Amino acid sequence: MINIKRNKETTLFIGPQHPGITGNMMVKLKVIGDTVVSAETHIGYLHRAFEKLIEQRNWLQSFTLLCRFCVPEPDPMELTYARAVEAIEGREVPPRAQYIRTIVAELARIQSFLLWYGGQAGSAGLYTLGQWTVGDRNYVLDLFEDLTGARIYHMYIWPGGVRRDLPKGWKDKALRVMDYLEKRLTDYNHLLFDNAVFQKRAQGVGIIPKDKAVEWGVTGPPLKGVGIAHDVRKDEPYAAYGELDFDIPTYEGGDVWARALVRRDEIKQSIRIVRQALEKMPGGSYYNRIPNPMKWRVPKGEAWVKTESVRGEIGFYVVSDGSEKPRRVHLRGAAYTNGITVLEKILPGENIADVSFILNSLGACPPEMER
Amino acid sequence: MNEVITKLNEIFGTDAKILRDRQITVEVDKNRVSSMLLYLKNQMGFIHLNHISCVDWIEEGQFELVYIVWRPEDKTTVLVKTRIDRENPEMENIDTIWDQAHTYEREIREMFGIEFPGLKAPREFILEGWEGPPPMRRDFDTRKYAMETYETRPGREDAQNVREYITKRTGEKVPDFAKKYSRD
Repeated sequence: MINIKRNKETTLFIGPQHPGITGNMMVKLKVIGDTVVSAETHIGYLHRAFEKLIEQRNWLQSFTLLCRFCVPEPDPMELTYARAVEAIEGREVPPRAQYIRTIVAELARIQSFLLWYGGQAGSAGLYTLGQWTVGDRNYVLDLFEDLTGARIYHMYIWPGGVRRDLPKGWKDKALRVMDYLEKRLTDYNHLLFDNAVFQKRAQGVGIIPKDKAVEWGVTGPPLKGVGIAHDVRKDEPYAAYGELDFDIPTYEGGDVWARALVRRDEIKQSIRIVRQALEKMPGGSYYNRIPNPMKWRVPKGEAWVKTESVRGEIGFYVVSDGSEKPRRVHLRGAAYTNGITVLEKILPGENIADVSFILNSLGACPPEMER
Repeated sequence: MNEVITKLNEIFGTDAKILRDRQITVEVDKNRVSSMLLYLKNQMGFIHLNHISCVDWIEEGQFELVYIVWRPEDKTTVLVKTRIDRENPEMENIDTIWDQAHTYEREIREMFGIEFPGLKAPREFILEGWEGPPPMRRDFDTRKYAMETYETRPGREDAQNVREYITKRTGEKVPDFAKKYSRD
């Protein structure tokens, strides 16, 4: 317990450079000894005014900025925005495009989880796993390169469908990569979850109380880690998720350990979804053509659309005033609540050494917080 | 979902309607926003605050604030919307209802210049050391602000117009597509 009389409070800054998380943010801590007494999040190192710039571009040009909202996982941004525009316009999306979108969204989840493995293990001092998973992530990026022409920022999902059809032989290649990754999961499991260091560090650390979780606005793996199975893919199915069979993994405990287990199981589910979607892939068109993008006007209206990303629920509030440019595009990022307010609430009482560890397990993503 | 619409219209005298799918939209006076949100949270089970957004309707001299809440039981969303005056904008702070609301309010305060009296969180959030006008307002001209505030790097004065610069260097003419297809 903290002995306030004997010990003096010290201010400590963690960040803006962090081991493990993508981007820069700072946590200002008040500490006594090595115990955190209070925490305050400071962002402001990565603001790029994307939402303002989008208002000055036409509906399609916005995609070049949208995908850069979150560096480790750009595809859900494209998917959510495209769906919002389609909702305002009432544009139909062909079934084949819905399936391709599902595959892209799940591959994005897989590659992002693999990157997370590296960050989470790295912040506990286990650097080998990061080398493995980031190496294996390249196989997924290869699939993206074949499909979309780019490795990280794809700009592949458009209003009305996707930009191009699956290339020849892509299905077999994707299945081979899925088989390989499934085999590798056992190795990751041995290296991280059977590791005594990780077990000791992760169990009972950074606990989110179950009764407060939904009210605090927690979503994604941290919410599943307290045993609540909310997932936008199941709650309000989009793309082809309504027709596919998958489970939402949940664990009790609400600590870093539970969140890590959720993410481990999520990769398995994602592999399962990709396989099913490839198997059930319908024929037909992949793109419901939009008019000349330079003159394309989206009718007056608004839309609120949600998607499940690896960090939790992301949403776009999009408003059109009937012109060639969006009136307002506002992102609700999962990291916004998970990484700022929830972090400030659960840090007091933790050890200084666990701060980046907890930050990583909450899925903090500074580029998404600031846009 | 219909019971939410009926209840809201009955109690608050509003005109709630279905936006699409399982989404309800309702416009309410700014003084009744917090009581409506409290009612939705405590009586109707809308415990999850998704988002608070702001839209600048400069032509009408108003800001529109949008509060989005969600109910886990039947996956219903309600968009509570209100309009406030663009001159000296002020809105009731709701971080007593949802604690995490303060992040959204801080962002709106910084980006649109809307005051939320009683908001305890520090003023500075995303923009550090910013002295210009609130940047997300429609009348904030990014290009003009950048031209007036920042200096050109010495030796790069002639590279301001990229098209001209390329033409001068390579002799190749670069078409201006934005101008060609613009309606103005």
